[in-house]
Amino acid sequence: MHYPWWYVPYLTAPMLIAVISVLHVLVSHYAVGGGLFLAVEVRHAYRTGDRAYLDYLHGHAGFFILLTVVFGAITGVGIWWTIGLTSPLATEVLIRTFVFGWATEWVFFVVEIAAAFIFYYYWGRLPEKTHTTMGWIYAAAAWISLVLITGITAFMLNSGGWATQPGEQTFWAAFFNPQFLPQTVARTGGALLLSSLYVYLHASLTAKDARLRNMIAARSARPALLGAVLITVGGIAWYCFLPPSATATLQSAAVLNVLVALIFALTIVVFFLIYLGPYRNPGWLSPGFAGSLCLFGIAAFSTGEFIRESIRKPFIVHNVVLANQIAPHEVMKLRQNGFLQSGIWTRAFVAERCPTAVVDNQIDASKLAPRDRLALGETLFLYHCNDCHAGTLGYSAAGPLLKGRPRDQVRAMVERLDDNYFMPPWSGTPEEARIISDYLMTINPARPAGPRHFMKTEGSAEEDTE
Amino acid sequence: MIDPRMLVDQAQAAPLPAPVWFIELFKVLGFTLHAVPMNLWYAGLLIALWLRLRGGKGDSHHLPEQRDGCCAQTRIASFFARQFGDRLLRQMPVIIAVGVNLGIVPLLFIQLAYSKFFYPATILMAWFWFGIIMLLIPAYYGVYTYVWGLRNGGRMAKWRVAVGWCAAIFFIAIGFTFANGLSLVEHVSRWPSLWLGHNVAGATLGTALNVGDPTLWPRWLLMFGFALGTTAVWAVFDAQWFARDAVGDDYRRWAWSFARKLYTVSMLWTAAAGSWYVFGTWADDLRRTMLDWPLLPLTVATAIAPGACWVLVLIGGSLQARRLGTAVLAIGQLGVLGINAVSRQVVQNLDQRPYLDVTTQAVDVQWGPLLMFLLTFVIGLAVVVWMIAQVRKYNT
Ligand code: HEC
Ligand code: HEM
Repeated sequence: MHYPWWYVPYLTAPMLIAVISVLHVLVSHYAVGGGLFLAVEVRHAYRTGDRAYLDYLHGHAGFFILLTVVFGAITGVGIWWTIGLTSPLATEVLIRTFVFGWATEWVFFVVEIAAAFIFYYYWGRLPEKTHTTMGWIYAAAAWISLVLITGITAFMLNSGGWATQPGEQTFWAAFFNPQFLPQTVARTGGALLLSSLYVYLHASLTAKDARLRNMIAARSARPALLGAVLITVGGIAWYCFLPPSATATLQSAAVLNVLVALIFALTIVVFFLIYLGPYRNPGWLSPGFAGSLCLFGIAAFSTGEFIRESIRKPFIVHNVVLANQIAPHEVMKLRQNGFLQSGIWTRAFVAERCPTAVVDNQIDASKLAPRDRLALGETLFLYHCNDCHAGTLGYSAAGPLLKGRPRDQVRAMVERLDDNYFMPPWSGTPEEARIISDYLMTINPARPAGPRHFMKTEGSAEEDTE
Repeated sequence: MIDPRMLVDQAQAAPLPAPVWFIELFKVLGFTLHAVPMNLWYAGLLIALWLRLRGGKGDSHHLPEQRDGCCAQTRIASFFARQFGDRLLRQMPVIIAVGVNLGIVPLLFIQLAYSKFFYPATILMAWFWFGIIMLLIPAYYGVYTYVWGLRNGGRMAKWRVAVGWCAAIFFIAIGFTFANGLSLVEHVSRWPSLWLGHNVAGATLGTALNVGDPTLWPRWLLMFGFALGTTAVWAVFDAQWFARDAVGDDYRRWAWSFARKLYTVSMLWTAAAGSWYVFGTWADDLRRTMLDWPLLPLTVATAIAPGACWVLVLIGGSLQARRLGTAVLAIGQLGVLGINAVSRQVVQNLDQRPYLDVTTQAVDVQWGPLLMFLLTFVIGLAVVVWMIAQVRKYNT
């Protein structure tokens, strides 16, 4: 309501964040774990004087740079781009709370980039020890940037007492939220596991020499197994420290349940495949095997990211900003003064579209032409619901979800929207609830004949004729 | 039509964590630093591709034999031109990485103090703004693709050349989108028509571009003009500081003559675009304020800065200045970009003030985190300097 709403047909604007952030995490975790891999393995290769391995690592570093510095970095900036476009209020609050966290993280990006380029472009031109040190500087900076960003994403899921307890609205209280440690552990594990999977895939495709392949398989199995353990420990802690709203969402959404089960299943599969494969039988590392491992890992990661985005409902930032760009403390005011008249852009729209219907800064529905009434209903829908629902078709489309309910039930549902705790409270006047219901009826699919066809008794009218 | 003042939210979601002057300082500083590498891929990439194209098909590692007079002269010149193109292209991946990184600084700080302008403006043109990311990824990989082609001698597959040109065009398109975005951030008066022209039931479609804003075109051209100048300065700076033994004195002489020509174009270009901008598109009261005390010295300094730097280029060229001279020149160009950044911030503030005075926002300074940032910044800088020192130590 403070900002214009961007209507993205079918997909809904926030889904763009989900798409970009899934793409981003698949690379950014590798940027952390892969850095560690390079530092540790380059040191090992220097110590053992293994030229062939060094050559392989050089090639791997090139692949690493190409993926992380370009795709990883730009999709990271891309998340900034999309959250500003689709969740401006949440972004505004987050940046005012965490700007120095982000600024500090930026310093580590600078160090990362410098270290990565020097590590790669000056390969073979620096003393072994200095070269290894560059690798370690990269790895350390990358991991610290993971820790810093995790403090912020964790806050979005569980803001702890920050929003509810007086005196708690500080940077540190926000940063060290209940989800901080669990997510840091899980993401560190994720970085270790995912990067091992990428190493396997890369090695199976490029390392021709069997000895080399087997060594890589064996050496990278340990961090991968450790990663799987950390993911599990972090994941359990993550579950324990969910806020009640998220636990409720997770438990009651059938899809999310399936997805959580899927993640656990995938993690277990990956764990055993790594144990049986690279750890016990390094010779198994064929492109097919490594590719499937990688696919399992990517599937698990994407699912995890999707869940992370989903279970915050009805919030974007827990207890601070609701999914539909309203702060919880604004709800009562909106109910009183009207959603349309309180929002900056909605109010301007009313003033442009039907100025005569505004009396005493309130909308007088009796003065609305039918077409304007439907238009305002759509405005209400887009600004109040479109964050989570497409219209007639698309992501969680509202039309089909209405399931042919009659108008009075639709209105009742709207007025008690948060009876379903996925959804934010209704934030308009009773009049506005009627207006949006009229619009919703236009996207409500017609009821199929169904059993009612057989239930007509003499003289009874169709129940839901409008 | 809607009164644009209706569209600027006055409510504050949370206090600012730092004083407005601090935020503006970092925004302007960050943008100045972003502008240097950005200039090099904005105009520099195009120029490098063109120089390579014009420089013929030869191998860029061996000078053509000197046979007869003037013809040989031009052949040698085009050989050096090609060599410079090669150098700049090879540096480009790192330049882009650095420039994107430096862009994050103004991005953070513009959202901090100017959220009420930044978000609505970018949301109105959401698909294009989002498109920046979608173009940047292929453009960046396109540059890598071209640069790999440079590896095997001078023979370059045609498709790689095409990809390189596409990348350069993408960067121009991105720059145009940025100019659209930032001019829309500044001109709230443009919002109502763009919004009402691109909406469903009051939600924006995100398909607006600010092309109807007369300031957009000179603004866009102005930055491109600066980019030509930065590329000119880079040619001599690189020849003295980074090229080392890879090039000879002939190349350095060529670099100076090239810089002289290119900077002259840049100076004329910025003079034209700047005059068009100030005298052709600014509102009267904005022009009056900028050309009146106390802002007059700033405006004048901004206007003459490229001219002053051009004089430096001429002097440097006639002295065939070496390291010190090119360093002074580089600082001069940084000054050109810096003072332009300051002025555009002042103009932006003046344009926005009738809608919301950002300096009146509540501030609650986060001292601890601020110190953490400054401290990390110093340490981070020290680490980077140490790393670069190592490279220099072992790479003589
Ligand atoms: C925070 C995101 C969010 C917002 C905002 C939101 N919803 Fe929902 N809504 C959900 C979720 C999640 C579900 C469950 C969907 C499912 O089960 O597939 C849901 C379910 C529904 C259902 C089906 C409920 C049922 O019991 O059958 C309807 C109808 C609905 N929403 C309409 C609306 C309307 C109308 C609005 C705006 C006034 C709205 N929603 C706003 C997230 C949201
Ligand atoms: C994704 C990484 C990038 C980020 C984060 C970024 C950030 C920014 C920011 C915040 C500004 C506004 C500065 C201010 O007004 O204070 C800006 C301006 C600008 N950027 Fe970038 N930038 C990026 C990449 C690019 C690219 C790839 C180009 C391509 C040419 C580019 C060209 C420009 C131009 C031309 C301007 C000036 C626009 C104007 O005001 O007319 N930037 N950038």
